Amino acid sequence: MALGASEAIVGRLLLFYRLMVRPLFAEPVRTALTVLAIALGVAVVLAIDLAGFAAAASFRSSMETLAGDNDYEIVATGGVPESVVGKLAQLPYSLRISARMEDYGAIDGNRTFPLLGLDLVAEAQNHADAASAFPLANPEDALKYLGDDESIWVGQSLGYHVGDRVSLLINDRMREYIVRGVFPDDGGNAAAIVMDLAAAQRSLGRTGHVDRILVKVPEKDDGGSSHVASAAEWEQRIRGVKSEGESVTGGQAGAISAGILPESVELRTAGTGTDENRKMLAAFRWNLKLLSYIALVVGAFLIYNTISVSVVRRRAEIGIVRALGASRATVLTAFIGEAASLGLVGSLIGLPLGRVMASGAVKLMSATVEALYVSSRPGAIALGADSIAQALIVGVGVAVASAYSPAREASLVAPIEAMARGRREYIARVHEMRDLVIAIALAICALAASRAPAVAGKPLFGYLATLFVIAASALAMPAVVDLTTRLLTRALGATLGVEASLASQSLSASLRRTSVLVGALSTAIAMMTAVGIMVGSFRETVQLWMNDQVPADLYVRAAGVPAADRHPSLTLELADKIARLPGVAAIDRLRDYEISYESMPAGLASVDLDTRRMYHKGDFLSGRATGEVLNELRGASAVIVSEPFANKHHVGRGDSITLSLGGGKAAFRVVDIYYDYSSERGTVVMDRATALKYLPDPAPSSLAVYISPDASLSDVRHEIENAASAGDHRILTFSNRDLRTQALVIFDRTFAITYALEAVAVLVAVIGVAGALLAVVIDRRRELGLLRFLGAASWQIRKLILVEAGLLGLLATLAGVIQGFALSLILVFVINKQSFGWTIRFHWPVAILLGALTVVYIATVLAGLYPASVAIRLKPIEVVHEE
Amino acid sequence: MRSSRTKSRVIVASLLAVQLLFTFATHAATESQYSVALPGYRYEFPRDHFDHPGYQTEWWYYTGNVVSSDGHRFGFELTFFRQGVSRAATTTPTSAWDVRDIYLAHLALSDLDGGHFYHAERTNRSGPGIAGVSASDGRIWNGNWQVQWNGEEQNLKAVDPRFELQLTLRSEKSPVIHGENGVSQKAPGPGHASHYISLTRLATSGTLALNGKTFQVTGLAWMDHEFFTHQLESEQIGWDWFSVQLADKTELMLFRIRRKDGSVDPFSAATFVDARGQSTHLNSTEFSLQPTGATWTSPATKATYPVQWKITVPKFGLELETKTPLPSQELTGSSGTLTPSYWEGAVTYEGARATTKIQGAGYLEMTGYDRPFEMGSN
Repeated sequence: MALGASEAIVGRLLLFYRLMVRPLFAEPVRTALTVLAIALGVAVVLAIDLAGFAAAASFRSSMETLAGDNDYEIVATGGVPESVVGKLAQLPYSLRISARMEDYGAIDGNRTFPLLGLDLVAEAQNHADAASAFPLANPEDALKYLGDDESIWVGQSLGYHVGDRVSLLINDRMREYIVRGVFPDDGGNAAAIVMDLAAAQRSLGRTGHVDRILVKVPEKDDGGSSHVASAAEWEQRIRGVKSEGESVTGGQAGAISAGILPESVELRTAGTGTDENRKMLAAFRWNLKLLSYIALVVGAFLIYNTISVSVVRRRAEIGIVRALGASRATVLTAFIGEAASLGLVGSLIGLPLGRVMASGAVKLMSATVEALYVSSRPGAIALGADSIAQALIVGVGVAVASAYSPAREASLVAPIEAMARGRREYIARVHEMRDLVIAIALAICALAASRAPAVAGKPLFGYLATLFVIAASALAMPAVVDLTTRLLTRALGATLGVEASLASQSLSASLRRTSVLVGALSTAIAMMTAVGIMVGSFRETVQLWMNDQVPADLYVRAAGVPAADRHPSLTLELADKIARLPGVAAIDRLRDYEISYESMPAGLASVDLDTRRMYHKGDFLSGRATGEVLNELRGASAVIVSEPFANKHHVGRGDSITLSLGGGKAAFRVVDIYYDYSSERGTVVMDRATALKYLPDPAPSSLAVYISPDASLSDVRHEIENAASAGDHRILTFSNRDLRTQALVIFDRTFAITYALEAVAVLVAVIGVAGALLAVVIDRRRELGLLRFLGAASWQIRKLILVEAGLLGLLATLAGVIQGFALSLILVFVINKQSFGWTIRFHWPVAILLGALTVVYIATVLAGLYPASVAIRLKPIEVVHEE
Repeated sequence: MRSSRTKSRVIVASLLAVQLLFTFATHAATESQYSVALPGYRYEFPRDHFDHPGYQTEWWYYTGNVVSSDGHRFGFELTFFRQGVSRAATTTPTSAWDVRDIYLAHLALSDLDGGHFYHAERTNRSGPGIAGVSASDGRIWNGNWQVQWNGEEQNLKAVDPRFELQLTLRSEKSPVIHGENGVSQKAPGPGHASHYISLTRLATSGTLALNGKTFQVTGLAWMDHEFFTHQLESEQIGWDWFSVQLADKTELMLFRIRRKDGSVDPFSAATFVDARGQSTHLNSTEFSLQPTGATWTSPATKATYPVQWKITVPKFGLELETKTPLPSQELTGSSGTLTPSYWEGAVTYEGARATTKIQGAGYLEMTGYDRPFEMGSN
């Protein structure tokens, strides 16, 4: 019995080999193209997954450098009053307390690193045994260089040695520092510039506050107690007892509760900031991840096509095998097996390819994260077992799923039926109407899904809608192809000659294959179009918005390198000096702060109300006039919030929001919502005078300078630059046009990865076209051979194939653009709005789209060249002999 | 000497002074920024219980022997050091983190009956209230180790993961000023001296927690407070110091400075305090301190300490034998920190005044035993 079973298995394997594997090797180029398509699809999915994890999910905020194994962190908008450190130190618990200044410095003005001010006395003397201690090679150095503001310690990866002099740009000052020590920094992962806290406060021009206090609590209570305090107990011990009945209202800046921590000071689990940022980046990562699946969807079409072709071409063999007693299940398994093999091989090739692509992708993604979200260092790219398993499952799974339908049809082949050719296509044609009906139903579903709200901040229904659109298009494709080719056949015959007419007829004759092929290519084109429209609309919107929001003639900021969450500040005296320069009509001193609202990072900005009112054309959701809105901000606990902020936190006009500022918490009325595309995190804007009541540091982050009508821009700019260099300030000035250009550069860089993903999807589709045309040629060798035999010249054959390719491309482009338009509406008005919260005005980026479509079209036609040359090489005699 | 781990009390601070002096050599005039201890200083209490930033070095030493209600004996040490680092005009803007003084503190608990010695150390800048001395608030503190004056009472509090102290001290006598004419001379030449104040009999009570167990304790403590600028000289390599609290309510403070050549420095001195609080200065010829053979060798530092002594003060007819119930009372500085290694521990005294048997308790400090200490050279 055992023998019988093993014989059966061997027999099946043999059958699988003869029926499935041999044909694959017989057409190596076509097989290779299919595998390559899968490999690319899998590689892209894997690359984005890996890179997304490294850049957006496992990244560490730059400020976690040297932050060690602490339990709690204490933070506050505008800094924690430093007296808190003294109070904490005196608490009757064995706490390890590390107060830090946290900012950024740029070596030689261009390489930006975290700049940390640490209490080097405590670090060297008291925390020396702690795992997290700042690793001073010579602890005495901490004392040796106390009071020497020029002393810095740098990470090893920066490449300096003890005694080296380093020029460091901090905010608007460039100063020379001396390297006193070099500490190991984990290959650059913890690269930073360290100063003593006093020196850091002076270098940053911020005394009286520290940026963060890290606290490590003892495992057990003191005195050898066995009591292990709960997190809640620790929080209460550290925070202190808040006195009852104390209410801090808007104007009461600096009100201090009886507790150790002022009310506005936040005590939270260490690493919360990083967690919040990771949470914030989830949507960004999701969208890219889904975009990466496009290439795979295109790959699925190709697998479907490959297997369909196999089934059609091997109907005779299937019939024979069935007649010889093979069960339906055997045939089904055989074709699924073929697809699975292709999927597996493709995935295996895709793995290393994906890993390589991930390195590039992580750079692009972390640049975006840095520009739009948070200063961070990407985590390591980790190609773990789970990523590998996921890639294999996705690759093989997509292959099997897309092969199921043709494989099932193969299994339904009746032994006798297989003897006659041509009937398959007839059946496909019969299903055309049914598919069209389903397509329309799906389109309606898509419409419904696009109306549904976001689920937990993710536009799940939006994604579902895109899937519906893709499926609907795929199902509608046979009807579209059939209709179009029928209409075209006559027209083509008249204009391009008989070869073209033949080509068109052949496409419509092998309708199923053609429509799958068109489906694959059109999906890729649709995605390209949709994303193109989305990005183009976004870009146009931003440009229009900048017309209103970037009205000043000149912008001035500190030369330090800014990011979404870091704002080098300008010395106030310089700002005042600039305001008094001849030719300067007004300045708007903008100040940016980092705040945390509802446990999410957000921006807080203060503006000079008078300047704003005079020069700014605000753009508010309510449509009200700028002056009217800004008047409500004056001298009141009132703010305006950006559209992303309003959407993220479900805040509407007239609502009240509570912000932790300075010494206390204060409520602010939202008087309006303004359009904003500069920050996805959301921004709250208040009058500078209001902000200064809570946050007393008056240094602005940037200046908007308006010049008098009779002054010359270049003169004023020159004057400003002179004023800065006279005071030894390093600043950058931007003309209105400079600033817009720079904004667009950042914008384009942000979307670079999106373009890259589309390019891969299109590449996969074009590879598919080449493969499919090759199949067509091989399939129709009898017909082509006969044509040759009947006297057709080789150029006529080439023309025939190229026209077919051209027709395929044309059909796919038309279908793709229509489908892409539908998808772009979902992207712009549903997915983007729900993910990021901004309103984008629809815009056709005509030039870019035309260019891209032309390139794709040419690529498609060129993809027909190789199949055409194969067709020409067919030997008429041999082919006819086969008959 | 920068690498030396020797030192203590005098030496802790003196060394630190020299080390920091070296450190700040690049900065203009260091020592000259400070006053030196000169005869004729007018003491004023309670003000003089607090800090004297005009002098570079200052310390407050609390040591004591206590016993719990169930008879368990403990010794404790809580000391605060202040070392002036810079008196230069500060860079603007000034920061609360600017370092004018470095504050060190040592904490030790001797479980005399349990046979264990626990000690801890910390070094801080004053920063925004991390450590410091405030005459107006009546406080001397370093993190959560502190002394708080409440009228005549002093409350000591110190927290460590292994043990905690909460003691109330009440002085039974007026402050004693050691030396002559307000200065305790340590070396030849004006200024090589300190202003040295002691509270020699502090009735002590409070609680003490160790290994999760709380003890109610009572006993006697001693406080030394000294301030000066650079008092020792390079030939002086070590120091043995005794506080003696006798059952007849008299006290003795004795110290002996050891010279590099092995001799006892003539500036060694002592003070006798009678039951009413009257003090008598004794110069080096008026008493003797002799090790009597028994030693203890530290496994950590390999230093050998003489842990048994004989004290004689002929002028008062005193002869005392000094023993310790716990030989391992050595504070070892962890590597890289400023803290030196030294022996400071609870001792008992037995002997006679004239013919009357007498006994008492106190503290013994021995420094400079782990390595020859060379001041002013490497």
